Amino acid sequence: MKDFMEIEAKTIDEAIEKACREYALPREKLNIEIISEGSGGFLGILSKRAKIRASVLSIDMDISGPFHEMPRSVSKDIPVETQDVNDIDIDMAETSRKMIEGILSRMGFPFPVSIKESDEYILLNIKGDGSGILIGKGGQTLDALQYIVNKALNKNGKERKRIILDTENYREKREKSLVTLARKLGEKAKRIKKPVTVNPMNAHDRRIIHLALQNDKELVTKSKGEGAFRKIIIVPNKKG
Amino acid sequence: MKDLIKYIVRALVDNPDDVAVIEIKGKTTTVYELHVAKGDLGQVIGRNGATAEALRTLVSAVSSKHKKRVVLDIIE
Repeated sequence: MKDFMEIEAKTIDEAIEKACREYALPREKLNIEIISEGSGGFLGILSKRAKIRASVLSIDMDISGPFHEMPRSVSKDIPVETQDVNDIDIDMAETSRKMIEGILSRMGFPFPVSIKESDEYILLNIKGDGSGILIGKGGQTLDALQYIVNKALNKNGKERKRIILDTENYREKREKSLVTLARKLGEKAKRIKKPVTVNPMNAHDRRIIHLALQNDKELVTKSKGEGAFRKIIIVPNKKG
Repeated sequence: MKDLIKYIVRALVDNPDDVAVIEIKGKTTTVYELHVAKGDLGQVIGRNGATAEALRTLVSAVSSKHKKRVVLDIIE
């Protein structure tokens, strides 16, 4: 094992956590030097990353050692722990989970959050208490939370993975009820031979409706309106 | 509540140190005044007010639990 490790992460806290994982030792058993604090961004999203040097704390080590004798240039001579893409993804999932837990605990809902990750998105599942208070009317509370976390984590720099929040299996239930609604309104359009308008919905919900009816040759689905008022119109095919 | 607003907004803006929340308690309604750096106003409001709306949704979700009305005011 190397004497020490240089670790970069979004925040000092994360870097320290990583160091603990690498050494499989608790924080108290490690000697942590902060090389660069990163440039202050709350979640460390801002350009500069935090960098620490970690080593195993031994008894003869002078903890209050002369930190200033470690010039920054030293880091260039030492193989710096480079992060591969995977590591960054883990960081993002972990960061988003921490943020969600931070928000939840301040909302008075200290629920645990679990992570599931795929190539396209990070799914965070909040283990709710069954009250549905986190879901809100039509899922608006859950959507608001999801929107904010996505915005905070994809703030600067390139768009990265999308974060999807779920609790109490809400997303699946919602999709099922939307598909049922789509089929019902589709039947109605066929019956009355006139276009049927669906209530305004967000892009995700509209997509589910479109997909639910795309294989029905007797119906065409269109979207109309702008922004929050955009809604689907189910039109029966003329030939049908 | 103050802590919640501050926590979320600090994650959204470029100048987290300039975020301040002032609580004005009323009989039935509590007003939270949110102050951010001038350049961050857009971040907090969002396109078509989407971010402000999301913030207010979360805040009212909490306040409904306490059966209180809450107004979140973003100060220019």
